[in-house]
Amino acid sequence: MTYWNNLAPYMRRYTIRILLFVSSYVIILTSSLAFARGGSEHSQATLIGLALITAFPIIGMFWAIFRLLVETDDEYQRLLFAKQTLLATAATLVIVTVWQFLQVYDVVTTGPQWMGVIWFAMLGLAAPIVRWKA
Amino acid sequence: MKNRLKVLRAERDWSQQDLADALAVSRQSVNAIETGKYDPSLPLAFRIADLFEMPIEAIFHRD
Repeated sequence: MTYWNNLAPYMRRYTIRILLFVSSYVIILTSSLAFARGGSEHSQATLIGLALITAFPIIGMFWAIFRLLVETDDEYQRLLFAKQTLLATAATLVIVTVWQFLQVYDVVTTGPQWMGVIWFAMLGLAAPIVRWKA
Repeated sequence: MKNRLKVLRAERDWSQQDLADALAVSRQSVNAIETGKYDPSLPLAFRIADLFEMPIEAIFHRD
């Protein structure tokens, strides 16, 4: 509890939001996939609805990250978070661009996918880079 | 921009964490300002000046 109590209020709100969206994502994804692949046929509208519902927690995570940028009242920490998100965005665009041309030249059969997941992974990698010697 | 934050803090026998708590910022932020990696905004510079009861120009000055 000491670690939690030492966290700034904006970090506590961010952590709670991320945990809520991640757990919602796991529950929604597994139950929606089980429903969609349950054997029976589903209408296009149902499948679109499932896609939107599954995407919702991911969109929520983006929202939580950008709320963190707004709510961080420590200006230096806010600068580091802004650098982190920009670095993650740049790294994601690099990966997607290379992947896209690998598909253009028939090296891979599938084009860029799961960009949100790639962005979150890049956000995680960007954190120590930005904070190194910060 | 250079500053006398480290000296002023040492004169009062404050740790970086003490100063950070007084300014409601992180210790990392105090360290970044002290080492010149980060120049604070004008509102934060005023808060620092108020805390040390000195004018801003007595704490921060040009390179």
